[in-house]
Amino acid sequence: MASIQIENARKSYGAVDVLHGIDLNISDGEFIVLVGPSGCGKSTLLRMIAGLEDITSGAISIAGTVVNELQPKDRDIAMVFQSYALYPHMSVAENMSYALALRKTAKEKISDAISGVAEILGLTALLDRRPKALSGGQRQRVAMGRAIVRKPQAFLFDEPLSNLDARLREQMRTEIRKLHRRLGATSVYVTHDQIEAMTMADRIVAMHDGIIQQVGSPVEIYDRPANIFVASFIGSPAMNFLEGSYEIADATTAGIRLSDGALISVLPVADAKPGQAITLGARPEHISIVADAQSGGLPAKVELIEPMGLSTLVHVTLAGKPIKIFTMDRPDYPVDSFIHIAFDMAKIHVFDTASEKRLPPANAAGILT
Amino acid sequence: MNTGTQTGKLPVERRGGFSRKFSGIIEPYLYVSPALVLIIAVMLMPLILGLSYAFRDIRILNPFSGGFVGTAHFEALISDQAFLDALANTAWWTFGSLLFQFGLGLVLALLLNRQFLGRRLVQALVFLPWAVPTFLSGLNWAWMFNPVVGPLPHWMTSLGLMAEPFNILSDPDLAMWGPIIANIWFGIPFFAITLLAALQSIPKELYEAASIDGATTRQQFISITLPFLAPTIAITLMLRTIWIANFADLIVVMTNGGPADSTQIVASYIFTQAFRRLDFGYASAIAAVLLVLLLAYALSVIALRRAMTHTDS
Ligand SMILES: Nc1ncnc2c1ncn2[C@@H]1O[C@H](COP(=O)(O)OP(=O)(O)OP(=O)(O)O)[C@@H](O)[C@H]1O
Ligand SMILES: [Mg+2]
Repeated sequence: MASIQIENARKSYGAVDVLHGIDLNISDGEFIVLVGPSGCGKSTLLRMIAGLEDITSGAISIAGTVVNELQPKDRDIAMVFQSYALYPHMSVAENMSYALALRKTAKEKISDAISGVAEILGLTALLDRRPKALSGGQRQRVAMGRAIVRKPQAFLFDEPLSNLDARLREQMRTEIRKLHRRLGATSVYVTHDQIEAMTMADRIVAMHDGIIQQVGSPVEIYDRPANIFVASFIGSPAMNFLEGSYEIADATTAGIRLSDGALISVLPVADAKPGQAITLGARPEHISIVADAQSGGLPAKVELIEPMGLSTLVHVTLAGKPIKIFTMDRPDYPVDSFIHIAFDMAKIHVFDTASEKRLPPANAAGILT
Repeated sequence: MNTGTQTGKLPVERRGGFSRKFSGIIEPYLYVSPALVLIIAVMLMPLILGLSYAFRDIRILNPFSGGFVGTAHFEALISDQAFLDALANTAWWTFGSLLFQFGLGLVLALLLNRQFLGRRLVQALVFLPWAVPTFLSGLNWAWMFNPVVGPLPHWMTSLGLMAEPFNILSDPDLAMWGPIIANIWFGIPFFAITLLAALQSIPKELYEAASIDGATTRQQFISITLPFLAPTIAITLMLRTIWIANFADLIVVMTNGGPADSTQIVASYIFTQAFRRLDFGYASAIAAVLLVLLLAYALSVIALRRAMTHTDS
């Protein structure tokens, strides 16, 4: 097991800069999830750690050794590919033992290791099969087994679950987490699925356009997103955004004036001046439906009621902007009718529209800081 | 009432059903018959006709020939030393050409599978030998081996491979190498292109996974590239063996089987018998033997392949 340090790592393909200076410290035994939209450079970063891509500049070290110039085989890491990349002409057992056989490990040791891992992953009955005679989920397990057998310093996963159906993905998610707890190996896991990121990570690294946007625990990232990108990317259904200008009422209350003149109360923030352009962010679960305007509600037009089983999602428009509201009730408002909605003042995020950065509440007593 | 009508109708229906069934069987054949007739006329008739010549005395210059001679041609063949030599030469010609065509074709395919500047241009150039008509390339190579007009003998002398420039095509011991070299040049593109296509179908991730697993380039070649290429290699080798064994053009153009029959292969011997000695009957008999030999070869290769894939799975 080992820690991984990435210092100012950059990657360019010719004139195209893909990664713009990545700094990241991964501690020993940590489960890190790299998350971000397609094309943001997650795979590229992972492949640079693996040694499959050259590092244009900067340094990557594994267990304290700079590995920039080391071949993949000398980095003592294992990787699980999205396509699994199983050797099609080898049996499951041969696939898993290939790396050990190349290292001239003794035969008995290899078969012990294989049967142990096959036991853990439930592959014992499949050891003599070829990959083409396996289901997608079984192939995924073999790919995991091939990585585990070697007992590497670190595991690298590149969207290993994206070819599985939803139910199997959920199951493998917990299995990978259990495996991680059992093996305690440093893991870097790439996904574009924010639910995978939330459920699996010790720490999430949110990336966008080759830049790390925020690093933090899932709860930290969810509750205190550093900027509009992270706020909109993490969370499903996604956060609602409204644009307006900042107004100060008194020492404990400020407000955001929307384009239609409505005012939404927020906690005062330190770095905003009155009149400054602000983007307000509210998660669907932090907006509630209230009886009337007297209870502080703003009128909003119902567009769609979306039952989701456990909860219901109410789509409305406010100041011309679509807003989603999460409710545990079973509302049955007619479409095009007006309801009143209220924002949970303590949980609203205030972003500077120009820099897109989150402005934390000035008041230390605020629930969120 | 209901049952009455049913039993009353039954025999009629059965009769109608029978004739319908019969026409149902015959109908599909009627649809394909034009194609069948065409295939039989174009493919089978010449084959059968050609084979029948083998049992007849057909000499173009002899007006009294044309009679049925039974197996006389085949009996003559067994003691025809020129034919037996041609058989040995065929093996030499075929496997000598094939081995180098395949080996160099594979090397070229591996090189072309790498990323380098001007790769597309080189890939296009590789096709070039195919664009040249065979007899032209034969003439060209014959000239290149000729010390009066060609550079090759002089180069070989400079390299110390020859004491003095001479034409290997006129040396009975070396003459076969002339057409073989021309054939290698001519056949490399086929292997290079087909193997390159197979190489490019190998997923890149397999090599990445193997390099992480600790395989060196050589180990990757053995445990990934070769297994992936195996089916292509097997089928192309088989096709090319048959094709080269039948391919007399270069030999006829470059040496005409000489000197002293030293480059005569069965296919060129057939050509000589048919079009120089004008003995079509005898030539057909040789052709029939060649056909049987190649069929036996193809069947044994297919059987071998089947046996191998069966033990495989
Ligand atoms: N060989 C290459 N040449 C030029 N650009 C490349 C090359 N390989 C990748 N890129 C670019 O690098 C960027 C990052 O690619 P990368 O594969 O890391 O994305 P990703 O975050 O893994 O996306 P996804 O979620 O779709 O897998 C992309 O914009 C891609 O177009
Ligand atoms: Mg990717």
